[in-house]
Amino acid sequence: MTAIDVSNVTKTYRAGVGKARFREMLPPPFDRLTATAFPHWWRKNTFDAIDDVTLAVQSGTSLGIVGHNGAGKTTLLKLIACVTAPTRGTVKTSGRIGSLLDALVGFHPDLTGRENAYLLAAMHGCGRRTMAKHIDNIFAFAEISSLADTPLKRFSAGMASRLGFATLTAIEPEILLIDEILAVGDANFQRKCVDWLDGFRRNGGTLLFVSHNLALVRSMTRSAIWLDHGRILGRGETADVLAEYGRAMESREPESRVVKRTANHRRSMAARGEYRWGVGGARLERVHFSEPNGDGRHALEISIAYEVTEGDDARFCISFLDESGREIGGTVSPSMTVGRGSGSLRCAIEPLPLRPGIYFPVVSILASDGVVRDHWRLERAVVVNGNGEPLPDFLGPVAMSFAWDQS
Amino acid sequence: MLRQTWRYRDLVVSLTRRQYQLRYRQSFIGFTWAILTPIATLGAASLVFRHVAKLGTGSTPYAVSTLAALVPWTFFATSVGFGVVAVVNSQSMVTRLPFPRVALPLSMVGTAVLDLLIALALFAVVAVLTGAGIPASAAWLPLLLFVEFVMVVGIVLLGSAVNVFARDLRMAVPLFLQMWLLVTPVMYPLSAAPHRLRGWFLANPLTGVVENARRVLGTGRAPDVHLLMPALVGALVLFVIGVWYFGATERRFADVI
Repeated sequence: MTAIDVSNVTKTYRAGVGKARFREMLPPPFDRLTATAFPHWWRKNTFDAIDDVTLAVQSGTSLGIVGHNGAGKTTLLKLIACVTAPTRGTVKTSGRIGSLLDALVGFHPDLTGRENAYLLAAMHGCGRRTMAKHIDNIFAFAEISSLADTPLKRFSAGMASRLGFATLTAIEPEILLIDEILAVGDANFQRKCVDWLDGFRRNGGTLLFVSHNLALVRSMTRSAIWLDHGRILGRGETADVLAEYGRAMESREPESRVVKRTANHRRSMAARGEYRWGVGGARLERVHFSEPNGDGRHALEISIAYEVTEGDDARFCISFLDESGREIGGTVSPSMTVGRGSGSLRCAIEPLPLRPGIYFPVVSILASDGVVRDHWRLERAVVVNGNGEPLPDFLGPVAMSFAWDQS
Repeated sequence: MLRQTWRYRDLVVSLTRRQYQLRYRQSFIGFTWAILTPIATLGAASLVFRHVAKLGTGSTPYAVSTLAALVPWTFFATSVGFGVVAVVNSQSMVTRLPFPRVALPLSMVGTAVLDLLIALALFAVVAVLTGAGIPASAAWLPLLLFVEFVMVVGIVLLGSAVNVFARDLRMAVPLFLQMWLLVTPVMYPLSAAPHRLRGWFLANPLTGVVENARRVLGTGRAPDVHLLMPALVGALVLFVIGVWYFGATERRFADVI
């Protein structure tokens, strides 16, 4: 049975917030009439957040959605949740939908945790009497029983999202839409949610899961789609889609122009998943990766170009983060006399003993006393490909060597 | 839309309860405000109209006569004042959660109903204290309040939907309520208005409700049908327009808000 059926859906938003627009106020059918009569007026200053997307999700399956920021992932969930209506096309769903579209969940800051839980349940069509039975379980699940009567404005984002998730477990949804919500919880609670979601799927629930944490997407879902600028660029088995998505990230060129450290620039870097900080005095100019065979199973050569303006000694550091942002390994060079001015050096890395996945390199330049002069999390990714078999040949983050012997 | 509203009645009740708690949370005198608002208006009105303008209200004491009209007026003003901004003020819910948006303005009308009950109790106390008593014709009051309720729901639905698209309404509502209070026979009886303007007064659907409330609560007469008809027609027209416009545009709220 199809739980979610999205066909040829386009969602157009207006760009920018300015004055009120008369065209938005027109009720149907006048909106459609004017849209046909004056298409130019109607399309002015708009963009398509979702562009002709067709998607069917069978009940009892789980689908991961990946893509860079602004790719339309949240918009797609909002369309499926009926928070917003498609501009063109149709969305059909069958079953009660539970949705957690972000960490704030839509809670009211002045209401207490308990009141918000009741309200959230009521918004999902779940009455007071049903909720009264569950309310203690909710706070026990969220592990915030002591905060039940505290206004939500005193909660941290993590605690609010705990409460949101715990409330959703009580309303017994058949379709669950989750957008990046697990990212704010700590590891223990994340584990708890993942376990609950596993049970939810086993009992025939349908799950749509959006996350930048690719490791989580990999473990939570069987199939996935990759959204880019509102279109589906790839769909299929999660492993394949993630590999494809990773390759696209891998081919992005690292930024080589001189970077001005304005606040705006830092924000835009953070939005692209790229982070750079440091006290200054030396900077990384260019980082280049060369992989002879390009599959991550052979030696990798990294060349770094730098410029030093303070101090004569420096240490270099290269490390790798996995899909969930965890540092999985790295190296710090011995202190080197580099002198003022520009220079370059190379580092060779033996084949990475890593399980298939996408890894993000971090390069930094330190003063000899360990002060970080420039720390750069590159946007480019290193992809380690699997052998294409459905069952992974590794478990955990490290690829160990084993010899199996049947005696 | 009406059926869906019924299915989510728990939500409306829940929101009403929350709004009511919230309105007076972190305030000193709490729901005393529900009593203070009509009393203060009454005080100001009696100063201006009774002592400055030397207005007569016949055999009924001015306080009783005016409070009888102030009760439905206060219900109207609080509903419209809070209701029109209800959707916009719940932006974080509207953009994140799927639920019938109509619950937001309706819950505001719901809180105004609670205020209305408090104000009615206040009226009863004043009527007894001044010796005017509560006439038997007060049994007509639920009918009048029902007509007003229908009218208010229509206005609030229309207003809260329009306010999503054009925030001008947020600025316009206080001004509009101020002007409407002056042109409605609340602080003065309709009989004090010049006869040649009577047609204009009747074009205001609230006149029928307010003036009839004064009749059934103050002077103890049955409602005047000639006064009530324009109110009834106005209420139905506003209700249909409000429900239609809100229902037709609510799918767009999350995009524009």
